[in-house]
Amino acid sequence: MELLNNLYTGFSIALTFNNIIYCLVGVLFGQIVGVLPGIGAPTAIALLLPLTYSVNPTSALIMFAGIYYGVAYGGTLTSVLINVPGESSTVMTCVDGYQMALKGRAGAALSVAAIGSFIAGTVSIILLMAFAPALAKFALRFGPPEYFALTAMAFGLLTVFGGEQPIKTIISTMLGLLIATIGLDVVSGMPRFAFGFPQLFGGIDFIVIICGMFGIAEVFSSIEEPEEGELVKSKLRLRDLFLTWEEWIASRWAIVRGGIIGFLVGIIPAGGITTASFLAYLAEKRASKHPELFGHGAIEGVAAPESANNSASISGFAPLLALGVPGSPTTAVMLAGFMMWGIRPGPMLFKTNPDLVWGLISSMYIGNVLLLLINIFLIPAFVVMLRLPYTIIMGFIIVFASVGAYSVNNNFFDVWLMLGFAVLGYLMRKLQYPIVPLVLGLVLGNLSENSLRQALLISGGSFSIFFTRPISLLFVVVAILAYLSPVIRWALKGLRQTKVDPA
Amino acid sequence: MRIADLIGGVVVLILGVAVIYFSSQLEYYSEFGPGPGFLPLWIGIIITAGAIYVIINLLTKHSRTREFFKPRTKLGLQILITIIITFLVLPLLGFSIGLALFIGVTMRMMGKHRWVPCGLTAIVTAIGIRLIFISWLTIPLPRGLIGW
Repeated sequence: MELLNNLYTGFSIALTFNNIIYCLVGVLFGQIVGVLPGIGAPTAIALLLPLTYSVNPTSALIMFAGIYYGVAYGGTLTSVLINVPGESSTVMTCVDGYQMALKGRAGAALSVAAIGSFIAGTVSIILLMAFAPALAKFALRFGPPEYFALTAMAFGLLTVFGGEQPIKTIISTMLGLLIATIGLDVVSGMPRFAFGFPQLFGGIDFIVIICGMFGIAEVFSSIEEPEEGELVKSKLRLRDLFLTWEEWIASRWAIVRGGIIGFLVGIIPAGGITTASFLAYLAEKRASKHPELFGHGAIEGVAAPESANNSASISGFAPLLALGVPGSPTTAVMLAGFMMWGIRPGPMLFKTNPDLVWGLISSMYIGNVLLLLINIFLIPAFVVMLRLPYTIIMGFIIVFASVGAYSVNNNFFDVWLMLGFAVLGYLMRKLQYPIVPLVLGLVLGNLSENSLRQALLISGGSFSIFFTRPISLLFVVVAILAYLSPVIRWALKGLRQTKVDPA
Repeated sequence: MRIADLIGGVVVLILGVAVIYFSSQLEYYSEFGPGPGFLPLWIGIIITAGAIYVIINLLTKHSRTREFFKPRTKLGLQILITIIITFLVLPLLGFSIGLALFIGVTMRMMGKHRWVPCGLTAIVTAIGIRLIFISWLTIPLPRGLIGW
């Protein structure tokens, strides 16, 4: 009953004219961002964030959420038609989606992606409605030790999901934490790492860093390595989008499995939608009776990752809203938005701002319906956008980033700082230091440090406080295992090799 | 690439040591629990240790190498310099005209466009910035000497 009540509250907010418009703008924008290479959801939201300072937070979040899951729909188009992922979360779609397009089934690939995303996304919203309040209730018991252990776990999990060089992931996380310490220390009032710049006393604004590291840094990378693909000529009339009976039979369980995997990966801190689509593809290949068809245009290979990425983008709101701990770069940027509006997400949010929480979640039902319609009826309009020259996209990014950075404090210091972070982000990317851990470290830095200090204050300086409380202990154990995962993986590999050659 | 990676590692190492040095000047432990220098010191230690690991790894193992400089790196650098010049002239020209010029110039620089479309795009950009950011969203962006 409570669920229906919440749903009622939510829809009464999400269905106001104003919020439907914000939702529509968000999903359209997300679809466009998804189609355009070189700009992703975190960048898009970071660039719009400074402009929404005076917008009602619920409406702005409805729009941002629309961008987030809209991107997961839009990225499919480039993956299928030009074999270039519009988004990292649609990388796996290229494998079979492009092969389908070459065989003249581009329409089927796009529609199975849209339908799968819609079904998995809707189920994910229902699960989110049930799971998020439960998680929030559970998190009410969290004290400082639990929060510190939770952030430590999130950072640790980054090393599991964060790429080939875990040590660089750790360094990157530490850089984020370090940047978060810049400015006046809240406890002692001492300036830290400000080096006499009064502009740094208030700390560096997230918007400045994110506009630089995601927005402009991505411009440099895209100029250097342009992603150019050949557009497959395909008919995309309405009837080309219909699935054959065989295709439908082949994809239905892929959608279900992908959706479930997506939901589960999405709620893990640092899980992320790219990991979700990757795992869903691998699981589908393993579950299939014809794994040899994968890579040659198997429709399940499109249905599974596409359902998973959409499902994960929605379940990712659970840790953000209920714990205040984002799991992906996009939700990290949204957390920065919460801070800008002076709202603290976390267990209390469900009590203090039920309108915001349920309005946001309910708007996702509407957004998914809109996206399904867009992706059935408006596909040709977005195909035209693939011809947009990159210089125009680049121009947009530079304009929005510099206006955004300037408007934070209305001074040029932040604009230059943003450019500095852009160069840093570009160099890090080139040297394979991942950016995402830095951003997570940055947005979670204050929570992490403050809860560490409060916990040690409570315990009189003894670290045992993290091990004697059950929830905290659980997080700490997971964190330690996560940090050790490279070593564990290495040891397992060694073990397997000795088994293979007993000599 | 190995050299670039090595330089990167050394820069990170220097950063780590600097963080240790500067945070050791802050109070490590106070009567209110850990002081302002507590976490930064540990961050510095972890960064330093990480950098040493990266450097040793590079010196002892042969890893797959990727070229640091690519054929289009130069173009990226030119765009960076253009951005720097743009930011320098923004206070004089104002955001709408300064950024519009940037877009016109970079469209030309990236090669494929004639002067006329570049000019038109620049004009549209200037009007767009003026209308959207300054008039509609009322962001107090500098309007420069011309006052537009």
